[in-house]
Amino acid sequence: MRRTQTLVVVTLLLAAGRPVLADPELRSPGVDYVRDVQPVLSAHCYECHGAEKQKSGYRLDVRELAFAGGESGEQAIVPGDSTASPLIRFVAGLEPDMLMPPQKSDQPRLTPEEIGVLRAWIDAGASWPASASVTIRDPSDWWAFKPIALSPPPLSDERNAGWSRHPIDQFIAAKHREKGLGHSPEADRRTLLRRLYFDLTGLPPEPDAVERFTANPDSLAYEKLVDELLASPRYGERWARHWLDVVHFGETHGYDKDKPRPHAWPYRDYVIRAFNEDKPFGRFVEEQIAGDALFPGTADGLEALGFIAAGPWDFIGHAELPESKIDGKIARHLDRDDMVSNAINTFSSLTVHCAQCHDHKFDPIKQEDYYRLQAVFSALDRTDRVYYDDRALTTQRDALEARRREFPARKEAIEAAVRKLAGQPLIDLEREIAAAAKDPRPPRSPQYGYHSAVGAEENGVKWVQVDLGRQTAIQRVVLAPCDDDFNNIGAGFGFPVRFRVEAGNDPAFAGDALCLSDQSGADYPNPRNVPQGFANHATARYVRVTATRLAPRQNDFIFALAELEVFDEAGRNVATGAPVSAHDTIEAAPRWSTANLVDGVFPAAENAGSDRLAKLRTARDELLARATDPASAAALQTVAAQRDAVTRELAALPAPKTVYSGAVHHGEGSFTGTGAYGGRPRPIFVLARGDVTKPGKEVSAGALEAIPVDSGIFQLPPDAPEQSRRAALARWLTHRDNPLTWRSIVNRVWQGHFGRGLVETANDFGHMGELPTHPELLDWLAAAFRDGDQSIKQLHRLIVTSATYRQASLDNPDAASIDGDNTMLWRQNRRRLEAEAIRDSILAISGKLDLAMGGPSFQDFTIEKAENSPHYRYDLADPENPALHRRSVYRFIVRSQQQPWMAALDCADPSMLVPRRNETITPVQALAQLNNQLMLVMAKHFAARVDVEGEDAVAKITRAFHLALGRVPDPEELASLAAYVSRHGLANGCRAIMNLNEFVFVD
Amino acid sequence: MFRNASPFHQSAARAEAASPLSRREFLWASGGGLGGIALSMLLGEERAQASVVPGALGGVLHHPPRAKRVVQMFMAGAASHIDLFDFKPELIKRHGQPSDFGEHVEAFQDGLGPWMKPVWDFAPHGGCGKLLGAPVAELGKVVDEIAFVHNMTGKTGVHSQGTLLQATGFNRPGFPGMGCWVSYGLGSSNDNLPAFVVLPDHRGLASNGTKNWDSTFLPGQHQGTVIYPGTANPIADLFPAPQGDFITPASEGAGISLLHHLNARHAAGRGGDERLNARIQSYELAARMQLAAPEALDVSNEPGHIRRLYGLEGAQGSFAPQINPIEETEYFSRRCLIARRLLERGVRFVQIWSGNDNGFPRRNWDSHEDVERDHGPLATGMARGASALILDLKQRGMLDDTLVIWTTEFGRMPSTQGGKGRDHNPYVFTNWLAGGGIKGGVSYGESDEWGYKPLDRSAATEVYDIHATALHLLGIDHTKLTLRHNGIDRRLTDVHGHVLSGIVA
Repeated sequence: MRRTQTLVVVTLLLAAGRPVLADPELRSPGVDYVRDVQPVLSAHCYECHGAEKQKSGYRLDVRELAFAGGESGEQAIVPGDSTASPLIRFVAGLEPDMLMPPQKSDQPRLTPEEIGVLRAWIDAGASWPASASVTIRDPSDWWAFKPIALSPPPLSDERNAGWSRHPIDQFIAAKHREKGLGHSPEADRRTLLRRLYFDLTGLPPEPDAVERFTANPDSLAYEKLVDELLASPRYGERWARHWLDVVHFGETHGYDKDKPRPHAWPYRDYVIRAFNEDKPFGRFVEEQIAGDALFPGTADGLEALGFIAAGPWDFIGHAELPESKIDGKIARHLDRDDMVSNAINTFSSLTVHCAQCHDHKFDPIKQEDYYRLQAVFSALDRTDRVYYDDRALTTQRDALEARRREFPARKEAIEAAVRKLAGQPLIDLEREIAAAAKDPRPPRSPQYGYHSAVGAEENGVKWVQVDLGRQTAIQRVVLAPCDDDFNNIGAGFGFPVRFRVEAGNDPAFAGDALCLSDQSGADYPNPRNVPQGFANHATARYVRVTATRLAPRQNDFIFALAELEVFDEAGRNVATGAPVSAHDTIEAAPRWSTANLVDGVFPAAENAGSDRLAKLRTARDELLARATDPASAAALQTVAAQRDAVTRELAALPAPKTVYSGAVHHGEGSFTGTGAYGGRPRPIFVLARGDVTKPGKEVSAGALEAIPVDSGIFQLPPDAPEQSRRAALARWLTHRDNPLTWRSIVNRVWQGHFGRGLVETANDFGHMGELPTHPELLDWLAAAFRDGDQSIKQLHRLIVTSATYRQASLDNPDAASIDGDNTMLWRQNRRRLEAEAIRDSILAISGKLDLAMGGPSFQDFTIEKAENSPHYRYDLADPENPALHRRSVYRFIVRSQQQPWMAALDCADPSMLVPRRNETITPVQALAQLNNQLMLVMAKHFAARVDVEGEDAVAKITRAFHLALGRVPDPEELASLAAYVSRHGLANGCRAIMNLNEFVFVD
Repeated sequence: MFRNASPFHQSAARAEAASPLSRREFLWASGGGLGGIALSMLLGEERAQASVVPGALGGVLHHPPRAKRVVQMFMAGAASHIDLFDFKPELIKRHGQPSDFGEHVEAFQDGLGPWMKPVWDFAPHGGCGKLLGAPVAELGKVVDEIAFVHNMTGKTGVHSQGTLLQATGFNRPGFPGMGCWVSYGLGSSNDNLPAFVVLPDHRGLASNGTKNWDSTFLPGQHQGTVIYPGTANPIADLFPAPQGDFITPASEGAGISLLHHLNARHAAGRGGDERLNARIQSYELAARMQLAAPEALDVSNEPGHIRRLYGLEGAQGSFAPQINPIEETEYFSRRCLIARRLLERGVRFVQIWSGNDNGFPRRNWDSHEDVERDHGPLATGMARGASALILDLKQRGMLDDTLVIWTTEFGRMPSTQGGKGRDHNPYVFTNWLAGGGIKGGVSYGESDEWGYKPLDRSAATEVYDIHATALHLLGIDHTKLTLRHNGIDRRLTDVHGHVLSGIVA
């Protein structure tokens, strides 16, 4: 100990540059924390270890924390012993790796004098008065984490007794009184109708509906209208879109090579259905997290899991990088982070993802909580899940699929026995092969050849053929095998086990084809890299190779050829560059393409001469064949027969449904999910600073400890199936005592009706979010919702029948001077319509809106280069195509390229969670609304419609106005429009109407 | 008022800056015969005096700026530092020998073949004597303006993540591009053109598509506006689509007037809502953009010596099917010339892309198969355009306050993939900067003897540092330009970033 200390002092002298503090006796006895020490810490340390930041979890402005130290767990200040205090060792540079402030920091290094002050203070006992320490507030002492309070609505006073219709108004009026505000008068009926139509259905009212409603003497006409609109299927379409914003639903992966997800839409339909059927909210939450576990056998329970997979997915980071690589780990960490964020932001309105590097700075979310949430989802990937509405069928199919996945292992077991029989010679041979495989190979062209689609059955027939352009005297056909190290197959990859080579003049080979070589009667030995020639005479235009028994891979079958050569009598290869067609093809450029079959590129041509590796592999095959005893051969045959039987059974089932969802992935190509391990969740560790190379403690599934929900929910046996983790999270979220879930949803619905929630930050109820403007009302709504039927429709009804909702949106300068943002709701907010509502309105008034519900999304683009990195060409869509005239909620949502017109109008960006849309007004938006092809085409249809529906110019214009704005024009408006239309035509007039402010704003 | 995150903030700011309302109302009341476009021109002159639409900083910078605008060049696919800018004689010495990094290396593909020397010879250039690879020799003319940063390091070797990291500061989607932040902070200095313009490779977008410049949580007007010069609609919907056969110049002018008239009446009864006036103005601005954009994009009137400077004198209509330097020069250099015209006209941030996504045949910098084949033409075209742009800015006195940034998602390995290509190297690569307060003729930071990792691994330069430096030069403290989103005060540099004082003049 003494020795170490001496060493430290000597080093300190070197580091400090000149001999200060060598003799402890020389130190000033009277160092005062506030006068001498705090200024040093403040100048050099607080930037990274103060109130704002606590790098390495260390904080120097709070006494207890300053002494305790950071993440390392080591005490940072040892009173009475400065040389043992890491604080001194770090600032003095005694531990070069831990030099503070660090080399890269902008903070100035401590001077020797300042170091001396710190040392003297510590050696004197490090006296630190409590009054000079920052006190930290308990982060869980915060409104959002407290139980929902059940307070009765405040009583009305005389001033608004006549106004208050029901509890909501009483809460609002109480705040009005408090702030010296009053309410606005009720909006006129026409305004109310238009507001209600857009709020509940996202579509404008038809003129008939406007006139019916304004003339309706029934005192309950408004309430009846509310019920009518809530019962309309249009309602679910409208409100599903709000939900899809929050959960960042998209139909492509995003990132690089942004591939489509053709089966994402069933989740969208599920959400629409849930709103229309008024599914109790608790069940809605539970289905999206753990529908498969809690409601087994229901289609809803599986389709809802599209929630988990809604966000982006890094295809390259997963499919091309194994989990064992660092980059592969990062991709999977980001993927789980997205699942966790989606779940907790959406249902709890908390920003849990801040806790992946350290405990949340502001909210009571521990880093460990965050990783426990990752453990909830760690068995899952994003993938297609196959199912039926009929539970029995789903079970049957799942069982068959499970059996099918067993065959490779069974086959391997038999082969292992055979390998044992083959003994040492096989081991030697394989060692030789391994050595040969390491020899540097000459560079190869990437154009491997033709590759069929992958087949499930060995005896599935596949063919590929060339068109020589004209009848040709054929002398010889050569088939060159491929070489691909996929599954360690190497040379001979995909070469058919049985096949025929035919020539003919009918491209369909229906008639008089001549068989040049028939190898379909017995298995053909794999030729490895040696091209196989078949000499025979024929005069024909087409040459076809038909595989009648495919080449096996792991558990499926393919047909691949590197080159097909057809030699004429002059010895020329006349197939070069000829058009190629095939039964099917995977087309994965540059390696696999039909054109590669006749491009002159094949392994044998590239590495001319003998290929030692290929010969060794042939020798191994022969050795294994000799070693295969009759019993093993029979067993292998049995496995093959059973596999074929299972494949046939699967094929005999009715076509299943598919949904892209969070599910256990059974692997595809080089991608492995957890399916191979029985869906066992991946182990999850707390990662130091979120770094995948620094795993710490392993954690089990859990949620946020600070939320007062029965912690027994997550007490699962270690071998519990993965679904039980998600089921636990679902139960945790929907627990009566979890205040976040209920406040979160009523706030979102409120936001939908007023443009702003009672909490403005709908995804963040934490310390960085806004405070509720009406906390008692929020809790009253949350409690009523939770303890009632958890019916979102009832919640709508409650809100829109309030006097608060029915206020006019007109300005009141006096009120605005008190509350310019209208947070107290002294009027209703005027709202700009969303991109979807504007587009749907345009289609509706033009008479083109197709109200067909559900099913695959319409694509208002053309995909170019689909085989590699798809280009989404919105400019190539035909706006006259009726398939594109459905409601916008059915639009196919691309992540890497948003639809430009929709994006200009602030549609939700599916690469991020959107609790509330930005609302911008830009010239680009004006251009989009003026000039986009959809606008112009619809302007013509709109004009054609009113041209028929109105008798004269005035009637036509009036009709157009009425359709678009829900009212007739006043004389001045009519005159201006009529003058314009008379000179420039009805289509131009209709285009102008669709660009009016009144068209895109709702009062 | 609403804070910056509010949807209304920016449009409100725009309305307040210009507030020509009373004048418009006067004009309408007194002389309704004016056509909309003419009216907007009139109002535009009025606004020209107010000149600037302020950004989130309200025109108040954190310190005096060195630069007012930025042009960023992005080499999609990962450009090789060791074949172009970062000369490694050790690789020449060890060429063909089995590579040995002295530690376990995770290659993205199979990139741990033998060492490979630089594909081209290097020669010294400029007063600083910087060694440059042959295809980028053209940059030798301006090398004394350039600061090279040779110890850039990334996070992963995945294109999408690397591209997002360099473009947005985050390796996952959902964050605004660098130009969005600059537009957000500084606002626009020309109402008639977008503040942030993107000139993509004409063959397609790079990894992540528009996510590299989307505004995400920043208000939409800060989004990069994509411009394809030379096409009928260089900006989406700038002019009516062909289906608008019923539209005539007369109907356009009168239509804009009609909209003004009806919208003003509508707004008059709805006081206290700036959005309604902002939307009226947006139609004026749109009309002005229709005039300003084609003029800005039209290079036909550029004099011969300028066209020659950019290598555009013999513009060709068609090119050889193989990748070739003439075609690459024509397209990249033309984008550089257009960038200069946009910058001259007040665009804040221009982003120029070289290379598209990973299609086939390869038209980007991801030279797994053959560095010489792809990098040769791409680098030749890039160097010609970049060099010409710097010279051109300089001769116009604009280089002093225009920051030029050259970047790519990561570098390439000093070893081969068995053939003539190089695998991804996220561990070290090169950026370079010029103009706008940058110290020229310097090389900052070093990679190790192979160009495999930073020489000093504890002091690598990260994208945050480049971004912090760029914002610093624009007069912005990178820690103070923030917007709260989902509970976090987001900024371009996340929680990192240090100004690279070594490259600041």
